[in-house]
Amino acid sequence: MSKLAENIKKLDPGKKESPFLHTLFDGFFTFLFTPNHTTDESGVHVRDGMDLKRTMIHVVLAMQACYLFGTYNIGHQHFVAIGEYTGFLEGIHLKLAYGLVKLLPIFIVANVVGLAIEFWFAAKKGHGIEEGYLVSGALIPLIMPPDIPLWILAISVAFAVIIGKEAFGGTGMNILNVALLCRAFIFFAYPTTISGDEAWVAGLEGFAAGSPVDYSWWQTGFFNGIFENLGWATYNASAVVVDGYSGATPLILAANGNSFAAEGTLAAAGGWEAVTSVYSPLQMFWGAIPGSIGESCKPLIIVGILILLSSKIASWRIMLSMFLGMMFTGMIMNAMGTSPFMTVPWYYHIYMGSFLFAMAFMATDPVTASSTNTGKWFYGFFIGMVGMIVRVWNPAYPEGWMLAILFMNVFAPLIDHMVLDANISRRLKRAKKSVAESVSVEQTMVEKVH
Amino acid sequence: MDFINIFIKTAFIENLVLSYFFGMCSYLAVSKTVKTAFGLGMAVIFVLAITMPINWLINEHILTEDVMGMDLTFLRFILFIAVIASMVQLVEMVIEKFSPALYTALGIFLPLITVNCAILGGSLFMVSREYNLMESTAFALGGGFGWFLAVVALAAIREKIRYSNVPPALRGLGMAFILTGLMGIAFMSLMGIDPAALGQ
Repeated sequence: MSKLAENIKKLDPGKKESPFLHTLFDGFFTFLFTPNHTTDESGVHVRDGMDLKRTMIHVVLAMQACYLFGTYNIGHQHFVAIGEYTGFLEGIHLKLAYGLVKLLPIFIVANVVGLAIEFWFAAKKGHGIEEGYLVSGALIPLIMPPDIPLWILAISVAFAVIIGKEAFGGTGMNILNVALLCRAFIFFAYPTTISGDEAWVAGLEGFAAGSPVDYSWWQTGFFNGIFENLGWATYNASAVVVDGYSGATPLILAANGNSFAAEGTLAAAGGWEAVTSVYSPLQMFWGAIPGSIGESCKPLIIVGILILLSSKIASWRIMLSMFLGMMFTGMIMNAMGTSPFMTVPWYYHIYMGSFLFAMAFMATDPVTASSTNTGKWFYGFFIGMVGMIVRVWNPAYPEGWMLAILFMNVFAPLIDHMVLDANISRRLKRAKKSVAESVSVEQTMVEKVH
Repeated sequence: MDFINIFIKTAFIENLVLSYFFGMCSYLAVSKTVKTAFGLGMAVIFVLAITMPINWLINEHILTEDVMGMDLTFLRFILFIAVIASMVQLVEMVIEKFSPALYTALGIFLPLITVNCAILGGSLFMVSREYNLMESTAFALGGGFGWFLAVVALAAIREKIRYSNVPPALRGLGMAFILTGLMGIAFMSLMGIDPAALGQ
C-alpha cells in the first residue's frame, strides 16, 4: 500500500508549478489515504488519524437511505399521477430508473458546481481543499424538487457557496447553513420551481386531467430498450394524468383544503380532514407522498438520526429541544384552534413535510448552530417554535423549517454570547463569594487566636 | 389586541432595518461589539418610545387645519426633527446626571441617534398609516425592539467572524453589508404573517 501511495505521490504537480492542480491532487490524495503525519521530537501534542472527513462522511452515510428512497419516490409519484403501477412494489424497476434519470443530474450539477468553486478558492488561498462541501453537496439534492431546472440549481449553489461560505472564509466559518441558503435562494428568486401544487411531481406536461407525460430519450429510448430485451414492463409514452389528481403535498392540503372535495365539507376547508382525504397517515409515515426528494420517508430518516446520535456527530440537545419547541407550539395552536390548520393535532405535524429531515440534518449542523450546550437548548427550542409559526400561521409559505433554521442561524452567535456572559458573571459572583468567605474564616481564626 | 399586533408586526415581520433598511448608518457603524450595540439599541428604543407619542400629539393638535385654522403640515418634517433632537439632548442630559457610567459607555452614539432615520421614519409612518396615540406607541416600542434585536444579532455575528479568514477586500463594512442581506433573507421567514388575522 505504501508503494502505491508513493507512486501516486509522484503525480503531484507541485505547489509552486501549478497551485490549482496541486490543490486538486492534494484533495484527492487525502481523500484516498489517511495522512500519516506524526509528532516530531519538539512537539507536545498527539496527532490522530481522525480528521474532519470522518465527521463529514458519517453525515453522508446517515442520509444514504434517504437517497435510495428518494430515487424510488420520484418515480412512484410520477406513476401515481398517471395512474399506472400505483402499488408499492409494482413496476419498481421503472420507478427506480425514472428516479435515477431525475436525481443523478441534480446530484452531479450540485456537486460539480460546488466543488469547482471550493477547489478554485482553495487554490487561490493556497491551502488544501476543505471538506465542508461534501455534506452540503450531499444535502442539496435531497432538499430539491425532482423537476428543478439545472441552471437554476447551478446558480443557487454558486450563490450559496460564494456568498454564504467562501466570503466568510470557508468551511467552518459560515453563519447560515449552506444547503438551506441554496434552497432559500431558489425559493425567493424562482418561487414557482420550488413551491405550490405542481413542483413536486416530475415528468408531467401539466396537472390537469389528460395532460400527457413528458419523457426524454432516456426513458423512451435507453431504458425502454433495456427493459424490452429483458421482457419487463416498459414506459408508456402515451399515458395521461388521471382525473382528480392535483399533486398537492399534505401541507398544502392542510392549509388550503382539498380542491376536489365537495363544497362545504371539512375536507374542502383544510386541516387534517383534507390531508386524510388524499393520503392515509401510514402512507405519509412511510413516505409515499410528494415532496422534496429526501424528506418524505420517516423511518429511514429515523435510521439516519440513530446513526448520527450513536456516532455522536449530531447534538441530541438540539434535536430534543427542537422537538419540544415544535410540540409546545403545536399544543398552543391546538388549544387556540381557530383555523382548520391549527386544529391538526401536533403529533401529525411530524407526518407532514420535512420536520424530521430538518431536525436530523439541518438544525444539527455544528457550524451554524449554537456551540454552547445551554445555547443549544434555546436554539433548538426556538427553531421548533418559529418553524411551526411559519408553517401554520404564515399563508405565504407552506413549510417552515428551512426559514426557521436560517432565522435561528442568525441568532445563534447572540445566544452563545449571552450564555457566555451569564457564565462569566455567575463565576465572578462565586469567586467573590468564596473570597469573602475565606476572608471571614481567617478573621474568625485570628479572633480565636487572640 | 391591536397594541400587541402592531408591536409584533413592527418588531419581527416588518423589521425597520431588515425590511425597510432604516437606520442603516448607525446599524453598520455601531455593530462591532455586542456591548455598544446593546447600549445603542436600548437608547433607540427609549428615544423612539418618547418621540413618537409627542410627534403624534404635535401632528394631531398643532399641525392640522381644524385646530389652528390653517394648514401647517409643511412644518411636519422640521418639527419632528426638532422634537427628536431635543429629546435626544434631554435624554443625554438626564443620563449624564443620573448614570454617568452608562453615559460614558454610550459615548458619541447617544447624540448620533438624532440622525438615525429609523426614528424619523417611525414618525412619518405614523402619519401615513394614520395611527392613533396607542398604535403609534406600539409602533415605537416594536420598531425600537426590532432595531435593537437586529443590531445586537449583527454585532454577535461580527464578533464571531472577527477571526475568520475573510477575503481582505470584504473585511469590515463589506462583510457587514453581506451579513445584513443574509439576515434579511432569514427575516423573510416571518413576512406575510398577519397577526390581526390569527385571533379570529
